[in-house]
Amino acid sequence: MTRQDRHTLRDWRGETYYGQQALKYPHWDWKVSGYIAVAGTAGAAQALATLGSLRDPEGLRAARRGARLMALAGSTAGAAMLIADLKTPQRFHNMLRILRPTSPMSFGTYIFGAFGGASLFSAFAEGPAVGRRHLLRWLGKAAQLVSGFSGAGVATYTAALVSATSNPYWAAAPRSLGGQFAGVAVAMGAAALALWERLGGRDATARRFEKVAAIATLAHVGASTAVNKRLKECGVSQPIEHSKPQRRLKASSLIIAGAAPLVGYALSAALGGRAGRNAAMAGSCAALAGGMLMRHGLLEAGKAAREQPESGFALAQPMKGDDDGH
Amino acid sequence: MSFDLPRTRESVQGDAIEPGRAYGFFTDTTLCIGCKACEVACKEWNQLPAEQEAMSGMSYDNTRELSATTWRHVAFVEQMDGAAGNADPRWLMMSDVCKHCDPAPCLEACPTGAIFRTEFDSVVVQQDVCNGCGYCVPACPFGVVDVDEVDGKAHKCTLCYDRLKGGREPACAQVCPTDSIQFGPLDELIDRAHERTRALHDRGETDAYLYGVPDSPGATGGIEKLNAFFLLCDRPEIYNLPAAPTLPSRRIAPAFGASLAAFAGLAIAAAALLGGGRR
Repeated sequence: MTRQDRHTLRDWRGETYYGQQALKYPHWDWKVSGYIAVAGTAGAAQALATLGSLRDPEGLRAARRGARLMALAGSTAGAAMLIADLKTPQRFHNMLRILRPTSPMSFGTYIFGAFGGASLFSAFAEGPAVGRRHLLRWLGKAAQLVSGFSGAGVATYTAALVSATSNPYWAAAPRSLGGQFAGVAVAMGAAALALWERLGGRDATARRFEKVAAIATLAHVGASTAVNKRLKECGVSQPIEHSKPQRRLKASSLIIAGAAPLVGYALSAALGGRAGRNAAMAGSCAALAGGMLMRHGLLEAGKAAREQPESGFALAQPMKGDDDGH
Repeated sequence: MSFDLPRTRESVQGDAIEPGRAYGFFTDTTLCIGCKACEVACKEWNQLPAEQEAMSGMSYDNTRELSATTWRHVAFVEQMDGAAGNADPRWLMMSDVCKHCDPAPCLEACPTGAIFRTEFDSVVVQQDVCNGCGYCVPACPFGVVDVDEVDGKAHKCTLCYDRLKGGREPACAQVCPTDSIQFGPLDELIDRAHERTRALHDRGETDAYLYGVPDSPGATGGIEKLNAFFLLCDRPEIYNLPAAPTLPSRRIAPAFGASLAAFAGLAIAAAALLGGGRR
């Protein structure tokens, strides 16, 4: 009976209900994209510095200190933005009533909480009060390890946060979007640490972080291309193609986050000296600004998808939207 | 229960509403006459404000969509030119409502536990718990739940939770003059709906099908059934419904997994580069 029902269903010819939106779109604004960018940068920086300290504890001492401070600043600012974006912010603590594995918003709160706590401790261990007290320094190292691990989680769970929705623009390519989020977070974290090292006059270690940022930028551009391809395949690229501001935002973020850092770092290697130093710093700044723009562009594109109900319907056809197709 | 509300359903229909049993709506769109009594009854019982500013130009539908303060919405589809492949002109009407999905994407997304499944198998937002994070809004595949800007909480149809507790059927079902909206125990409703579809097919209305019962359009992608399901006569999209919605939580593992894998790959590369040539 019901099987037969499905067979009798004619093909969808792109009809909508008076062009009305078929889905509701989030009330989130720049505070959420800002959180994703800032917390992701801080998390990735802490993870990179933790890894680096294991490989070269002496050379990367200053970078580790920078990462600990960035993690503290990032988790504080991130928490403030998250709470400010709630429509009933005085009830922010209700997030801790339950832990729900089916909700990235829920388990992400705990990942972010662990990151914030560990970052607070690791930053405290950089303070002058710690000095030669071995226990505290050891605790600082342990906190850094926890912070580095949870930092990787903070930088990546946000891909699940946007993918696990019914928004066609966010839901069509979960795997590629995951790669994109990891790439842009590592690029931003490495760029932030490279800037920190350049500003401190430690050019040799800065160059190491710039190489990491360059590789992560390539990964980000590659994953972004895969996301766009998948969106086209699913028929959900309309919100971008039809809106001029959206197209501009997307193009500019790809140029600033993708091309500009690579050019800056290449120029830095070719020029050397003072000019090279400036080019590298400009490249790192572009990676940070472009990463922020990219996160914001993704949020805005998701909201703009409301103008095209056929996008959501296209993704919600049988045998689509279920899988990434990779 | 200590409610002293008249248990009208029991006294009138001899059919008590019992906690622990799954209840829902069967909305038979072939019976809908577009009177919007359901919209009015819902607004009245739930004390929801009016929100209409202007004529929409969309047939008789000036409500446009479900929202934080509109929990029933009658859609009007005019097919006067036979464009949908029908010889005769027809007018489709459907009273849309929260589907009370099983499993429910909004409930799965809710980080505070404000959204819960009741003893009647309906899905309700607890207003004293919701903190307005808004994650249920993009999670819903049907565009039902929304956050109200005035009070900063998420709202949607409660299947008249308060009425069910008092032994009364939901206001929209009670008021519906043609029984297009039928309330009852889900197992009985589904049997009745299959029977109705067969009867319509026998009468020549072969387009009729069920949307939201197990193994049908609407109950797809991990959503096993919609506790508020529909009998439709054209593509779901015509009524502003997705043909094959999916459970958003299914995308957590691919997205988070791929992201962690990419991060790990980049971390390995970083570990090599950050050593600075030291062995």
